[in-house]
Amino acid sequence: MADGAVDAARGIEDPASSRGGMWGFITYWGLHAWVLAYSVVMLSAFYIQFVKGEFPCPLCMLQRYGMILATIGALFVIMQARRGELTTARYAQGLGMGLIGVLAGASVSVRQIELHILPGDPGYGEPFLRLHLYTWAFVTFAIVMIYVGVMLILMPRGIPHAPAVGTTARKLSTAIIWIFIGVVAANVIAIIFLEGFAPVLPDDPASYHLIDQLTGR
Amino acid sequence: MILLLVIALLVWRGINRGVIITLWVVGIVAVIGLFRFHVTSMLDLSF
Repeated sequence: MADGAVDAARGIEDPASSRGGMWGFITYWGLHAWVLAYSVVMLSAFYIQFVKGEFPCPLCMLQRYGMILATIGALFVIMQARRGELTTARYAQGLGMGLIGVLAGASVSVRQIELHILPGDPGYGEPFLRLHLYTWAFVTFAIVMIYVGVMLILMPRGIPHAPAVGTTARKLSTAIIWIFIGVVAANVIAIIFLEGFAPVLPDDPASYHLIDQLTGR
Repeated sequence: MILLLVIALLVWRGINRGVIITLWVVGIVAVIGLFRFHVTSMLDLSF
């Protein structure tokens, strides 16, 4: 049964049918901030990978997977809102996907923090603002968890409301979505070069396996 | 990672919600499986 029909059968008015207002605007762009923030985080990881020459370990890549899985939840809500098909149930589904995604990513971050928790351990890679990247990743996962919690508390207020087709805001929304998709595509290419023909990443990567395998090194 | 890109593109295209959520669940299970592999696999270390 469709979400709307379920709600109607229970005598529940779907607040999405009366969406809009300041809360709808804030939550719609809050989701874009989520998508854009994780795109920037992953682009920064690329900077460290390609400019500073630090190769991502398997746990680093798993944290990127967690970020992408979580952001797909936000993207799911944005796209439903843009099509005018967003109901309270679908909004909750998207937030649920986001929450489970960040929970998966945070589990990996905690594991990596624990690996380097002994006093004197230099950690993996260069720190940024006194914290290692996996610690920062955990901070971002915690922020998203809090964000999702606040959004759930705000329900049924705050059902995201998309701007009209053809407006500048709509174009900005499209640009942010494509930045994220582009970053995911770049990660696909990066992981192919890192893994080569192996099924998983080596524990401590020091080169691009695909290039090594193709050149016979 | 390819699966995640496919899911993101399907979300953009507005494919059936059930398909998206099913593929997303496959993705999260795959990540959990990879995590388990990397946590329990033997490290190539010598002391």
